[in-house]
Amino acid sequence: MDPMSRISVVPSGDDSPEGAGRPPQLEQLLRRAATGDETAFADLYDAVAARLFGLVRRVVRDPAQSEEVTQEVFLEIWRHSARFDPGKGGAMSWMLTIAHRKAVDRVRAAEAARARDEGYGASNQDVTHDSTAESAVERLDAERVHRALETLTPVQRQALELAYLSGYTHTEVATMLDLPLGTAKTRIRDGLIRLRDTLGVTL
Amino acid sequence: MSDDIHALSGAYAVDALDDVERARFERHLAGCSACQAEVDGLAAAASELSVLTEVPPPPSLRARVLTDIATVRPLPPLTPPRDVASDAPGDAGSTVPGRASTTQLPTTGEASRPTERAGSEVTAETETGRRGQADELADRRSSRGRGFTRGWRLVVAAATVAVLAIAGFTVWRQVEKDPQQAIADQVLAAPDAARYGKRLPDGATATIVRSTSLQKAVLITSGMPQPPSGKVFQLWLEDATGHMTSAGLMPSGGDKVVVLAGDATHSKAAGVTVEPPGGSDQPTSAPVALIPFA
Repeated sequence: MDPMSRISVVPSGDDSPEGAGRPPQLEQLLRRAATGDETAFADLYDAVAARLFGLVRRVVRDPAQSEEVTQEVFLEIWRHSARFDPGKGGAMSWMLTIAHRKAVDRVRAAEAARARDEGYGASNQDVTHDSTAESAVERLDAERVHRALETLTPVQRQALELAYLSGYTHTEVATMLDLPLGTAKTRIRDGLIRLRDTLGVTL
Repeated sequence: MSDDIHALSGAYAVDALDDVERARFERHLAGCSACQAEVDGLAAAASELSVLTEVPPPPSLRARVLTDIATVRPLPPLTPPRDVASDAPGDAGSTVPGRASTTQLPTTGEASRPTERAGSEVTAETETGRRGQADELADRRSSRGRGFTRGWRLVVAAATVAVLAIAGFTVWRQVEKDPQQAIADQVLAAPDAARYGKRLPDGATATIVRSTSLQKAVLITSGMPQPPSGKVFQLWLEDATGHMTSAGLMPSGGDKVVVLAGDATHSKAAGVTVEPPGGSDQPTSAPVALIPFA
């Protein structure tokens, strides 16, 4: 499949569904945090902690480590709050990206250590829908995303979930899903594009 | 831009690239505004998935976070670069992990390297190191000084911190073959590479070379003894708060060059401990070496 055929540069749309249910003041809180305003950061924490912790927890799984990672994530957000660039996406997305990167780093380091001694087989991983979805507070948002995921092909959805929610590399995903090497990245990308377009994500 | 590299945008947006792919893609990304827009959009789309995983953290976390931040000064906004190599203009947004040009590694194909002790070998720490990236953030400034001793009270007292002159490593060049070699290579050759060394009690030496612009640290050992039977050496990076993050396991053998997994930009020290096979989540023993980045 030609990956280029699906590319469409994100149009700068006007009404982002993402923005709708989101506290609109996240960016403002970040800006205040950048000036050293700890109260603003506490408010920011309250607004996003469940999203960030939940994602970290999903990737890392171990509760104690998830807390550690989340703590590091918030420290990074604080330190870099002045460097958030609204032109590249929303504040929530920015913070989630930081959280995701840290979570993935943690879990891969741990998995690697385990693999060395136990011959841990990633290919035996269960590929399932996320099991913590039940606890999602924002049911409507969750339903909207679930519906969007349904528009993906099963392979796209699995590849995306393994990559994003479980933190595997596209090469590992290819092996796990029995895809020819190099095609998992295409599935991930195609899935993301469809998700983006279905959700109407705009920057 | 080639289809090939462009096709990595999705995997990049969800952190599904290994180190080398990421470095390569980021080099491309720096000059491709179409890719930048796509990556931003795809990352935003991916982040929507987190509504499916929402879980409130334990209440105690809030206090810990707020305690943390009270001791750390937020970084200033990015301003036009003083150091072209480490702060590319116009990418304030790259505070998002690896999201822009500042996190790129330099070209892997560069020819010559400083040479060091012949006979040393680069060890590909493939599992633990493969992810070692420019973890997050575009910041290159090294903050220093916050007590790194926490958790390390048993630091080998006799250790003399000595920055070892490292001259003589054999150059390794199979950059295409071995990602870790390529990274080690780049770190050692980086203009801002800083070296911190330690002579161990048994005559072994351990040297850390860190490049904050590359966000990576490399450990070079010489004459390192074998770990105790049934044990392994594990590497650690200690952050400003005293927290230790595993930087992977160290392959056994006397002379090694190992890329530490993870972002070493803000680390205060690197350590080596003896751990059970497979390593530990946190150090379970006093370090046999602790090398402060100062």
